[in-house]
Amino acid sequence: MNYTNQIQEIAAKLFAEGKIDVFVGYRMNGFDDNQVPVLITGPQDVSKLVFTDKSVFNLVNYLKTDHTRKKRVGLVVKGCDSRALNLMLTEKQVKRENLYVVGICCEGVVDDAGQKMQNCLECIVPEAVVYDELLGTAGKAETRAYKVNVDIAALAEKPLTERAAYFEEVFENCIRCNACRHSCPLCYCAKCCIDQETAALYNGANTTSAAFHALMTWSLHLAGRCVDCRNCEKACPSHLPLHLLHKQNESVIYENFQEHLAGVIPDDRGAFYKYSLKDPDDFIM
Amino acid sequence: MEAAIKDQLVSIEKPELVAPPDWEPVIMGILCNWCSYAGSDLTGTSRIQYPPNIRIIRVPCSSRVDPWFLIKSLQTTADGVLVSGCHPGDCHYISGNYFARRRFLVTKKLLNFVGFHENRIQFSWVSAAEGPKFAKVVNKVTEDIKKLGPLHLYKKENFEKK
Amino acid sequence: MNVETFVTDKAGLNKFYEAIMAGHETYAPVEKFGKFDFNRVSRIGECNPESPISKTQSIKPLFFPRSAKVMKYVATSAGTEVSEVDEDPLAGKRVILGAKHCDARALQVLDKVYNWDYIDTDYQKRRENTIIISTRCDKADTHCFCTSLDYDVENLDALDVLVVNGADGKIYLQSRTEKGAEFLQTDVTRHASRVTKEIAAPDLKKQYDSFSGTFRLKMDYKEVNAKLSRIFDTPEFENVSGNCVSCNTCAFVCPTCHCFKISDEKVKDTGVRYKSYDSCNNGYFTLMAGGHNPRPVKYRRWRQRAMHKFVYYKERFGENLCVGCGKCTIACPVNISIFEVVNQVAIGQ
Repeated sequence: MNYTNQIQEIAAKLFAEGKIDVFVGYRMNGFDDNQVPVLITGPQDVSKLVFTDKSVFNLVNYLKTDHTRKKRVGLVVKGCDSRALNLMLTEKQVKRENLYVVGICCEGVVDDAGQKMQNCLECIVPEAVVYDELLGTAGKAETRAYKVNVDIAALAEKPLTERAAYFEEVFENCIRCNACRHSCPLCYCAKCCIDQETAALYNGANTTSAAFHALMTWSLHLAGRCVDCRNCEKACPSHLPLHLLHKQNESVIYENFQEHLAGVIPDDRGAFYKYSLKDPDDFIM
Repeated sequence: MEAAIKDQLVSIEKPELVAPPDWEPVIMGILCNWCSYAGSDLTGTSRIQYPPNIRIIRVPCSSRVDPWFLIKSLQTTADGVLVSGCHPGDCHYISGNYFARRRFLVTKKLLNFVGFHENRIQFSWVSAAEGPKFAKVVNKVTEDIKKLGPLHLYKKENFEKK
Repeated sequence: MNVETFVTDKAGLNKFYEAIMAGHETYAPVEKFGKFDFNRVSRIGECNPESPISKTQSIKPLFFPRSAKVMKYVATSAGTEVSEVDEDPLAGKRVILGAKHCDARALQVLDKVYNWDYIDTDYQKRRENTIIISTRCDKADTHCFCTSLDYDVENLDALDVLVVNGADGKIYLQSRTEKGAEFLQTDVTRHASRVTKEIAAPDLKKQYDSFSGTFRLKMDYKEVNAKLSRIFDTPEFENVSGNCVSCNTCAFVCPTCHCFKISDEKVKDTGVRYKSYDSCNNGYFTLMAGGHNPRPVKYRRWRQRAMHKFVYYKERFGENLCVGCGKCTIACPVNISIFEVVNQVAIGQ
């Protein structure tokens, strides 16, 4: 998967036509084969842009920063990124007319060690769903079926006490930097509810209890919206398996709520913004 | 005496922790204003007994219940939570409880996934006319949670149980 | 100063570590989720004192905890009763194994601010009661640049006992402070043989030379200090901060960052006041009660971070607030390197 040339051409064309103020893409980090996001403000830097299977970070995150606010933005999106963008559009956080979206038919990205990322192995929407221009050819859709995440399936089989002990360790190792939240493209609130300063609501200290509160609240706010791009895991300095919480919610929602997947259909606002009379009721007395 | 030692009650999530002999569970009851709260009122006025372990909070609608409420109550006082609202179709705000139902399922499954016993988080539909049902629900929830023992997961450090 | 030097081998080093663990409260890197953090240990099998620098958190939390209780209180209608917190769990006599040189150096830098206008007695006590045993790295990591900064990595005296992997499987233990010398005189070194400083010197030098030759990143910190202080208004900061996502994790893993926030946590009547880490990259780090925010945009916050590290702290205390450990770059989700940033801004590379 290498779309470097096409993306450079598109970016150059957009700057030449004056359609965008800033282009968000990836560049090489300059010393090894990993890439970092880059915000390009003029045609002189277009040659920096690259796109290969090392282009991991979800660029939709940059739509909520100072550098792109009230500007016309060109953006490269993979399948998962475009789902996040779709939700940002549906939730009216960005204006579609300010965006020029270069969609990618993604074949999966690799992590630092060169292994294909787990979310890519399980991905069922690799093609961009929102785009002005689509690069690559779409694969066969019918070959993909939703699979429950392997880690979730393995953990769900364990007895309750083991699961409790495992997650206690997870929450204990959280250092409360909130990098997961800030690197999430869909966490755009100006003031997050887990940053409450009132004494009775405060949960900002680095205790296991506060970490439990923060991560659980965060994952429930993203339930039905998480697109599984794993920006949070990439940002976590303690390497916590944060995808467990999100994938658990995703699998419950997919199984029970008419196979809902976040951001796949335009104008579909997450699973908690709609309901069906056929939703499961058997767990309620 | 011997029987008491034999039947020592342990926390189901942390079997190494034993409950004190006089332990009684604290259950957070979050009830919708229009049905369940009125239903609990009817239970009282009909003089039907139900366990005093439940601490009731009234909310406008079951969809007012943010999963955050459950997390916060489990972090502090509660050994279990009961959320109750109108029957499907009876919501005072037309569809509030349908939205709530979805959230409840996901919250319950997630809390269960991270190690809470599923019976610690319970839901019920109780209408304003169902006084006996409310008593039955509270009885069942209290019994369930009594079997599970006290909750010791993620309690706030500065929290002293009274 | 009395310098104690010992020579031993791999097995002897492990016995040395075991002897320490048997007799002292010991902290060492423990692996959790592929990341090493300093925890209390009692057996050598639990920890890895040779943990890779790119995967090890700093030792700062052992001196400046991620959250420390400041006080407790009970607020009732009769009034508020304030009480002391429980005994500081980090104040006892202890030994830290497997600390990195850069982490140890960071404490020296932090001492300046903790001994400045207010003397933090908790911090002082933790510092005094701790013996730091640090293994010199054999190879620089991708993002390391400690040799380019204003301290002598070879003769660093921030650590008490130096461990060096010499040639032919020899391992040298050398004291760097009086505290370290006293510690090595106790029976923890019973499996090692004492040598003179002069005998060990060539081997130590050789190891250092091979180590210092492995650095990818090199810079002239004096030039950076001088140039940065003159270009506060450069638009270059806006460019370099472009791909920052303001996730704050750089400050949380940094061994020298020391900003904190004070907050209360209350359940019913009982409350605890916590002192926890904060980050200048946080959007509301400088937000005032009236609503004014002097650093409302990202590039200003980034400028503050870079300038504090290389200009303001240098002016006030004569040291750089960066020790070149590269932890921020490794933790950063988009790999922004403070090295690249200051070089790009100051020198235009």
